[in-house]
Amino acid sequence: MSTAAHPVDTHKPPEVNLTKFGMTTFLASEAMLFAGLISAYLILWISQGKNYEPEWLKADKFTWPVLVTGINTCFLLASSGTLYMGEQAVLKGKSITAWLGLTTILGAVFVTVQYFEWRHLYSEHIWFHTGGTYTSSFFTLTGFHGLHVSIGVVFLAITTLMAAAGKFTPHRHDFLTCVSLYWHFVDIVWIGLFTVMYLLPYFIH
Amino acid sequence: MQAQATVRLPDGAHPTNYLNKETTIRSWLLTTDHKRIALLYLFTIIFFFIIAAVAAALMRAELLTPKGDLVLSETYNKLFTIHGVLMVWFFLVPSIPTVLGNFLIPMMIGARDLAFPKLNLLSWYILATAGAIVLYSVTAGGVDVGWTFYTPLSTKFSNEHVMVMAFGIFLSGFSSILTGLNFIISIHRMRAPGLTWMRLPLFVWSLYATSLIMVLATPVLATAMLLIVVERLWGVGIFDPSLGGDPVLFQHLFWFYSHPAVYIMILPGFGVVSEIITCFSRKRIFGYRFIAFASMAIAILGFMVWGHHMFVSSQSLYTGMVFSFLSFLIAIPSGIKVFNWTMTLYKGSISFETPMLYVLGFIGLFTVGGLTGLFVAALATDVHLTDTYFVVAHFHYIMVGGMVLAFMGGLHFWWPKMTGRLYPEPMGQLSALTTFIGFNLTFFPQFILGYLGMPRRYHAYPPEFQVWNVLSTAGATILAAGYLMPMIYLPWSLWWGKRAGNNPWSATGLEWQTPSPPPEHNFDQTPLVTEEPYGYPLAATTHNRHTEGRQREMEHA
Ligand SMILES: [Cu+2]
Repeated sequence: MSTAAHPVDTHKPPEVNLTKFGMTTFLASEAMLFAGLISAYLILWISQGKNYEPEWLKADKFTWPVLVTGINTCFLLASSGTLYMGEQAVLKGKSITAWLGLTTILGAVFVTVQYFEWRHLYSEHIWFHTGGTYTSSFFTLTGFHGLHVSIGVVFLAITTLMAAAGKFTPHRHDFLTCVSLYWHFVDIVWIGLFTVMYLLPYFIH
Repeated sequence: MQAQATVRLPDGAHPTNYLNKETTIRSWLLTTDHKRIALLYLFTIIFFFIIAAVAAALMRAELLTPKGDLVLSETYNKLFTIHGVLMVWFFLVPSIPTVLGNFLIPMMIGARDLAFPKLNLLSWYILATAGAIVLYSVTAGGVDVGWTFYTPLSTKFSNEHVMVMAFGIFLSGFSSILTGLNFIISIHRMRAPGLTWMRLPLFVWSLYATSLIMVLATPVLATAMLLIVVERLWGVGIFDPSLGGDPVLFQHLFWFYSHPAVYIMILPGFGVVSEIITCFSRKRIFGYRFIAFASMAIAILGFMVWGHHMFVSSQSLYTGMVFSFLSFLIAIPSGIKVFNWTMTLYKGSISFETPMLYVLGFIGLFTVGGLTGLFVAALATDVHLTDTYFVVAHFHYIMVGGMVLAFMGGLHFWWPKMTGRLYPEPMGQLSALTTFIGFNLTFFPQFILGYLGMPRRYHAYPPEFQVWNVLSTAGATILAAGYLMPMIYLPWSLWWGKRAGNNPWSATGLEWQTPSPPPEHNFDQTPLVTEEPYGYPLAATTHNRHTEGRQREMEHA
């Protein structure tokens, strides 16, 4: 390969959106992880039909989770909105601590409500191994997603503290960009999960 | 090239290079230099390779006689599990990408380092930790489920160490994902000025395709392993039929990763072959675009053929036919590559240095492996051959005959660049020949054994199979000698080998324009690329005398 010297220093700083590109690629990988779990759930459902649905879905026991989680979903969607407002504000150089703080609180509310939902089901004697594949998939998938949300809340809290310390400028906020990409991703996954795990089984009856 | 002006020392050595800049252990363990990380990976995967090879040697020794007299059947099961798990996830998957890829990608694209140097180091720590966890599960009592972890064996009947090993593999996947991610971003964003996509060395193209598979397929393996852990930990019923689960679902998830993983294990080898074959034919590559796009085609098609591992697992005949057809389809891009390499050799000025011998071995063995793949991709023959030694022989022709030979070829080719030293050439040639002969003697008899109906994974067998098994074990001994030689003369060359100079093979490619070993920052100045790769003296299209003659006639007319 013939080359000529080029008057550019090799020690040039990495491009600004290198981290954003990296995070997006990582989320593509994460998406495949959830795709694997969700398709496992759907394949089991399709191949087993009615046998798949445990008693507690047919009884009224399922109304409580669907209603509560429906409202909870609104909190999660709202958190994506407040985070978006924060991202817009940082570009204009405004303070974003309030927006980020609000996002963190909404995320924390979501995790807490999920925790109480699990506790409620546990008190009804519904747990990982107590009733067919739907129940198993339900706890595995919501649990795995809940883990992602919890990690997200921790990072949102860190981001809020960083914002309060004035770490972000209109031109330098890579960390914020990564955290918000992750958070929006977790939200989108939840919309999918809520549809296939709650709404579909509920309305099919 | 101005960069060379600063390094014109008599023996081609750079005063300070990436090896001698700092020498403390701390400086190695905390390095973010892609070249040092490549060497960390090299030691790590060789360590796992040796353990896995010892397990294989014990199995071959057991199979000398029809009776199971050396090890218990349980021990034998544990041996092939160790062999498979370590070879696949801790040697083959990381081999070329993490050692040669890490070392070469930044140099081939004219960059100072990968896009995320710290992430690169983290990937190594993840792999090392994952390997330690897997070794712990082996010493704590061993796992006997094979590298495929089929349910319900792995979720119900085997011991609980399965969970530890599954977690280790789950973790190693993240090393793979982060490495792939780092390569993708680097290849997109860090290329030197003038280095367009169509000017990239084919090694970079093949690793780009590999990285896509690493990022998109590995998470599904993580899903499968995670579900095994969850099922054992909380007794959920996703795979367990008595709780309403479906054991075949595991096979779908597992092979959705593990078929593309075959391409993680072979595509980087393709890249190495393209680099070496042009250099030692002194010829431009034949059909650059075809080879580059064939890598991408293989990466994409590789996601659609997993069902060919499940022809006998209650899959419907219709599904089987679709998967069979798609598997035949994927043979086309692989065939294109073999054809193009052969055309590159045609009328080339060929010389037989060690890397070239390894690569010629690769082409022959990969072709045999690929063609026997068609036997098992065809529904009717697969029913006869499933779970026999034919399958074992087939994938070893791809994994060992293909990837290991490519890895050895690449290691010998770039060794002078990595270390600044030359190994003794006759020793190298001898090791390449020994490996080739030993490999064929080990695995060719296994095709016959499989065809005759000997199932895999048994430690005892009927006496009529003994002849072929003895041949195979004899071959394994020769193969072991072929592996041992480089493990002796390569380290030897570090102290007593001749100085290599910048470009001992007169190869093209940006990496050869740096000193050997390269300085920590690779290039003193960012190179500017103005030409396609492989600017060797002989043109890619061989002039056909017949057409030339006709052209002359037409000009006369
Ligand atoms: Cu396959």
